[in-house]
Amino acid sequence: MSTHAAPGEISVRRPGPGRMGFFTDTTVCIGCKACEVACKQWNDLPADGSEFRRGGSYDHTASLGAATWRHVRFVELLAPSDIQKQEAAAALARGAGGQLPHIPAAALADAGGGVTEEEIPDLVDLAASDGGETGPHPPQVDVAAAVADMDRWVFMSDVCKHCTNAGCMDACPTGALIRTEFETVVLQPDVCNGCGYCVPSCPFGVVDRDHVDGRAAKCTLCYDRLEDGLEPACAKACPTDSIQFGPYDELVDVARRRVAALHDKGLEGAYLYGAGDREGEQLAGGLGAFFLLTEPPERFGLPAQADSPIQENVVPATVAALGAGVLAAVGVAAAFLAPKGRDRGVAVAAVAGLSIVPDAVRTLRRRRAR
Amino acid sequence: MSAAGPGDPAPPRGGKAAARARALASRVAEARRGDRAREGGRDATPAVGHPGGPASWRRADGEGVALHQRGWGDSRWSYLFKGDSRYARAEAPPDGFVEAANERGRGGDVPPIVQGPMMKAPVWTWEVPLYFFFGGMAAGASFVALACDLAGDERSARVARKVALGALVPSPPLLIMDLGRPERFYNMLRIFKPRSPMSAGAWCLTLFGNLSAASVAADVLGRPRAAKAIGGANALVGGYLGSYTGVLLAATAVPVWARSRLLLGPIFVATATLAGASATRLVLVAGGMPEGHPTREALGRVERSAMCAELVLSAVNEHRLGRLGDVLEEGRPGRIYRTAKWLARAGLILRLARRRGGPWTHHLASGCYLGAALCFRFAWVGAGPASARDDEAVARMARGRGTVGEPDPGTPVVVVQHR
Repeated sequence: MSTHAAPGEISVRRPGPGRMGFFTDTTVCIGCKACEVACKQWNDLPADGSEFRRGGSYDHTASLGAATWRHVRFVELLAPSDIQKQEAAAALARGAGGQLPHIPAAALADAGGGVTEEEIPDLVDLAASDGGETGPHPPQVDVAAAVADMDRWVFMSDVCKHCTNAGCMDACPTGALIRTEFETVVLQPDVCNGCGYCVPSCPFGVVDRDHVDGRAAKCTLCYDRLEDGLEPACAKACPTDSIQFGPYDELVDVARRRVAALHDKGLEGAYLYGAGDREGEQLAGGLGAFFLLTEPPERFGLPAQADSPIQENVVPATVAALGAGVLAAVGVAAAFLAPKGRDRGVAVAAVAGLSIVPDAVRTLRRRRAR
Repeated sequence: MSAAGPGDPAPPRGGKAAARARALASRVAEARRGDRAREGGRDATPAVGHPGGPASWRRADGEGVALHQRGWGDSRWSYLFKGDSRYARAEAPPDGFVEAANERGRGGDVPPIVQGPMMKAPVWTWEVPLYFFFGGMAAGASFVALACDLAGDERSARVARKVALGALVPSPPLLIMDLGRPERFYNMLRIFKPRSPMSAGAWCLTLFGNLSAASVAADVLGRPRAAKAIGGANALVGGYLGSYTGVLLAATAVPVWARSRLLLGPIFVATATLAGASATRLVLVAGGMPEGHPTREALGRVERSAMCAELVLSAVNEHRLGRLGDVLEEGRPGRIYRTAKWLARAGLILRLARRRGGPWTHHLASGCYLGAALCFRFAWVGAGPASARDDEAVARMARGRGTVGEPDPGTPVVVVQHR
């Protein structure tokens, strides 16, 4: 049995199954959210605040979280309009960091004829007008234009990536997060004490601590179903096979051939996120759940490059910190043993005064940028 | 829904009565959690079983469930997997084809639109920065105790060891309060995992606490040599206790923490040292140490140098952070950070007024340093969530377009959030 698990990891090891994973193909996803529902049903997860047309989007469930282990992300309006770009530039100049929380939103319309919610086809109106064609009311929506707009929608069923270098698992101080014999990453709810360290350690923003339950939770790649030889609930439910489950190597092979087929058809922006990378350029050592994307990863809330933050940072940070710790202990001793009597009040005041300079420079530069 | 349901299986250890008591306690806790859930507008009632208890789940042994095919055969019904289909090409593309496509897809500058949320914000609340403050103070006091011993001032060393223990006492409760499941705090010591700074830190805190208590006990029992030896070992452990908190933050995916990785540990050590020195100085003065005593003077030098080091290191770090350091200037963490800096400067400048103002200006300065240390802790921990919610910063860090020295074309990035 080949294993990708690092020797120091806490893992279930038993002969038999190899690495299992997900291949999620965004080009065939229709955004039906059947995977979300199937996941919630199988794993008995509570509903968490779905909201119709949240922020002007048709994506009425927000994001992955402790009670949402599959989330279909809606990517609407693939290019920003000129007005949106101007608004963003103005927001940047105001110092708001380019944050435009509601695009498209009515607030922008107020700001001078920007993008309004109506620019996204309203399916409710559309359905009403379709039904109205035979009735007394003429259709109010340009169906052809609305359908053309739908071309600019992309859906992506997001899920835990089951990384080879899993940041959450490296961070977990209790050993609640383990690697299974399927080389997936599973959180044991009976061990987790809700310390929350896995939450900022996941570069993909997957695992979260449930505010009611108190423990962290995330996708298990249906560990219980896998042990009984069943495929995960979301893959089972997916009506278009956008979510494919299987042995990892088989999935990567299918995905590579799929990319080639899409390029043949002229969709040359298609690429794999998390598999098929050159050695050294992999995302977190290769993702057990990988994706076929056609847009930059940031459109899907995914980082362009990621690794387990602990494996990246902990050694240099510890060396620097321990060095400073030893230096501090020696420095304190030196202050006690050094010859006394020299008053360096002026030098100390000079450091305090000079420390104002970089802050003042930065403040001035920001004012000027405005 | 009530907490009634099938009984909890009795744990193997302990008597029957103890098991029953544990089961009852767990049910009461779960029922309370259920009440909270319903108040919050969320029904957390499980489909089967009772909250927190085992579901009525049974392994399908033998023949398997309906329509089940062995070995995940049910996942391979699809034509997609088979040879030539309209879905995928029959033969694999040449080597380097997909690799090049991936490079085009993920390479280059940050795209004009970033659709968040990119990552989850840390969930820690006020207990964590307060613990960082006290833990750092304990570590700094252990340095002071060692230095006093080396300089031959045993009376001050004893006081410093007591300060270390006193600062450490509130730390475990604070850490336990911050857990999502405080009753399971002991799982922190379930394993020793050097690669996780939190696991290493939990063990370090345990070791430090025991050594600290042992050294104070040796003092009380009149064993000065043992106290000295244990205190020396404690200062070594303190070197990690005062610095690991910086590593803990730096080893996350949060941009402002991760990109400060080389300086966050040293900055936290400086905060720890000055907090320990100031606290010990104030305690010694309250205990009647006369003005001009060499230990009192030395502690003054320590707190001033540590404060200067902290200011200098912070300035270097802010410069290196570039765009990612904005969260240290904006909003609530930014205000606390600025307050910390001005308190530090005020303390340092009070040094000049000492000749005229007398000893009280120095006590005031020590108070300023302690306030600065506390504010620095709150600012650093508070900047994390702000940075994680800054989708542009997260995207920039991943593309290597954030800190000083990294290429940045300067094109505006629009952040979309369907919140």
